[in-house]
Amino acid sequence: MSQPIVHAEGLSKSFRVADKQPGLAGTMRHLLRRSYREVEAVRDLRFAIQPGEIVGFLGPNGAGKTTTLKMLSGLIHPSAGRVEVAGCLPQRRQERFLQQITLVMGNRQQLIWDLPPLDSLRVNAAVYGIDPTEAKRRIHELAEMLELGEELQRPVRKLSLGQRMKAELLAALLHQPSVLFLDEPTLGLDVNAQARVRDFLADYNRRTGATVLLTSHYMGDITALCERVLLIHQGRLFHDGSLDALTSRLAPCREVRLELRQVHPREAFEGFGTIEVHQGHQVRLVIPREQLTQQVGLLLSRFEVVDLEVSDPPIEELIGGLFRQQG
Amino acid sequence: MAQRLRRYGRTLLSFWATSLEAELEYQLNLVIELLAVLGNLAGSLFVLVLLAGPSGQLGGWSWNSALVVLGIYTLLDGFTSCVLQPNLSKIVSHVQNGTLDFVLLKPIDSQFWLSTRSFSPWGLPGVIAGLALIGWALVHNGEALSAGGMALAVALLVAGGLILYSLWFLLAGLSIWFVKVWNATEVLRYTLVAGRYPISAYPPALRLVFTLVLPVAFLTTVPAEALLGRASAAWALGSLAAAAISLVGTRLFWQFALRHYTSASS
Amino acid sequence: MAHRNGLKPVQRALRIAAALLSSQYAYMLEYRAEIALWALSGVLPLIMLAVWQGSAGAAAAGLNPQGLGRYFLAAFVVRQFSVVWLIHVFEEDALQGKLSPQLLQPLQPLWRYLAAHVAEQATRVPFVALMLAAVLVLKPGLLWLPSAGQLLLGIVAIQAAFVLRFLLQTLVAMLCFWSERAAALDRLLLIPYLFLSGLVAPLESFPPAVRRLAECTPFPAMVSFPAKLLAGESVDVAGGFLNLALWCAVLFPLSRLLWQAGVRRYSAMGA
Repeated sequence: MSQPIVHAEGLSKSFRVADKQPGLAGTMRHLLRRSYREVEAVRDLRFAIQPGEIVGFLGPNGAGKTTTLKMLSGLIHPSAGRVEVAGCLPQRRQERFLQQITLVMGNRQQLIWDLPPLDSLRVNAAVYGIDPTEAKRRIHELAEMLELGEELQRPVRKLSLGQRMKAELLAALLHQPSVLFLDEPTLGLDVNAQARVRDFLADYNRRTGATVLLTSHYMGDITALCERVLLIHQGRLFHDGSLDALTSRLAPCREVRLELRQVHPREAFEGFGTIEVHQGHQVRLVIPREQLTQQVGLLLSRFEVVDLEVSDPPIEELIGGLFRQQG
Repeated sequence: MAQRLRRYGRTLLSFWATSLEAELEYQLNLVIELLAVLGNLAGSLFVLVLLAGPSGQLGGWSWNSALVVLGIYTLLDGFTSCVLQPNLSKIVSHVQNGTLDFVLLKPIDSQFWLSTRSFSPWGLPGVIAGLALIGWALVHNGEALSAGGMALAVALLVAGGLILYSLWFLLAGLSIWFVKVWNATEVLRYTLVAGRYPISAYPPALRLVFTLVLPVAFLTTVPAEALLGRASAAWALGSLAAAAISLVGTRLFWQFALRHYTSASS
Repeated sequence: MAHRNGLKPVQRALRIAAALLSSQYAYMLEYRAEIALWALSGVLPLIMLAVWQGSAGAAAAGLNPQGLGRYFLAAFVVRQFSVVWLIHVFEEDALQGKLSPQLLQPLQPLWRYLAAHVAEQATRVPFVALMLAAVLVLKPGLLWLPSAGQLLLGIVAIQAAFVLRFLLQTLVAMLCFWSERAAALDRLLLIPYLFLSGLVAPLESFPPAVRRLAECTPFPAMVSFPAKLLAGESVDVAGGFLNLALWCAVLFPLSRLLWQAGVRRYSAMGA
């Protein structure tokens, strides 16, 4: 087995947050005697990622995914533990480390707002020391892969969100990094744009063998791209393995939404599965996969069902459900 | 090493090229800036005339010499508008919007990036007007400056510029801790107007303040004395030392600020 | 007279004023630190005082050090409480479309900005007091106590000067409806304000011709007149107030006209 390109051991991060009460009295107290509390963002993470893998960090908002990614890219110093990326200590932010990585954040951009992306690309080419002719060639190649054409010549503020994200990716990949850190890259994009970004990332990984670390709270990103998933919940690593293993572990159930003609008491649905919602004519049940067809058949025969919908519960509910079960 | 220098040089050129491109969309600005610079200069000259009174002297400085001080002030103000203000006032928005992270992840020194990223051409009228005023006053000075004297004067001007940069950088960098005092650099700009006049025009107590606390003396008066051929070794050395110390100070300060940023931000 | 919600217009106006002022004051308190710094940046008259003291020009104009001290200290206070920053917030709001919801309410938006300014002044008071205290600790000789009458007249004059400046800047701010760079024009207006109002040089030091020219502009009314009142110098009180009133009377209808024209354009452009 080759050397892992990303290696974390006992990685932890906690923040000291000032405890300040609102109002004037609180301000005075805060001025005279500060009280702090420790907020543990991430606790004792341990994983190793091989070059060329696409790994997803999954978890609900506030789980610690972004904090982990920032520690891996060197933007935050860990409180404890050790992390090594591409043979360097990220927090040192050495030049040879920075040349090999890139960070893309879905809710922030590095492109200059008032100018066309080409100008930002020119700056990046200079910053990373890429020869102008070589830069041109790379831009052409990436633009083709991303399906960007004349958009590169329009000011960024005039591009749609999807086009902007594609241009961001272009700018981020100009220096051909070997490790990509993507923080919610498809945030706010419409379905088509999301699909295009995912296709591009998969294609890029295939062509260049770059390692991709991606955080998302969209299950779709993970399903489309990641062979391996690291599930972080309340700062701890709860699953490190294939997506299939996670799916069967977490979602042995499916969500069934019923709209009924008449109102029935809660007890009537008790035997069919876990009751998530019971409100008038709307009932939402979570039923184990193996029993799905049987239970749905029973529901349809026993109650007058106006509408029925079967879907996967949202990942947040699955994870929440997982820890409701374990806790 | 040479390759790194070349890369930084290329980067600087691309920074300023894109910056100018974004700014030059507004041509009306040029007219307004020209008028503003000329108006301010006219007003300052007027006040100088009033202050000098019938004796034509201010704080022991002749009218002509005082013009040199005013010229250097205008030059430094133009420099502030060209480089210092467009760049350093952005630090607070980087912190607020989270885009500082992008700066930190580039293989370029972050202090260099933050200090030189933008260039505003609107400060140029001020720079040109300042140089013109200095030139005019020197021509009427009578005494010609030796080559060595000129070199010293330029060095002291550069020293003044570096001290000014350090002051701006220190105040702007505070926004890593306190976003709410983003206008501290505005206070600096308003207090530095004291540099319009030679420092001897102020009462002795204030002269001390303007040397040790807010080094206005090193910004305008000391370089002016050098340009007029009456540089004193003590002040010149003091100015150069202050410039070196303050530059090193910004470096240490920035490392400290980044350490705080990277351990505290979430 | 129209009655809304059964309230007389005066009652309604007072109620709106109270609500606006209290909410704006709470808002400004959040920005205490920033406002303290703005107060600190108003040191120009104090710096000018330092330069004028003992200068040849002062002696020639017959200005004694004590008179200069009082004048510039008064000018300092006048400037602190007559500062207007309408153009910056208004330009931002107009460009970002934040004006639209305000235009939908039955309240002329400019009143909001006025209330914001008044609230900001109230927030400034402690910081200005601190600065004055600092100056007086360093130079106790500058301390003087204006008579009750002088103080009252001075405060009224400062507020009148504030209103005048506000109206003047409103005119410029209305240009935001037509141009994206109206704030830059205000920068130009700042120049005559600085030099002709008596902020950096007392009008007594001006050559007579320039002084007459300055007095044809509204600028001396903005600083020189209120400062002299506060400093206890002999000044034509009635004439000064009449001057202020006349300038306001000229600028007020102009600003209203421009506002209406501007709003028409704003809504026509698709706010």
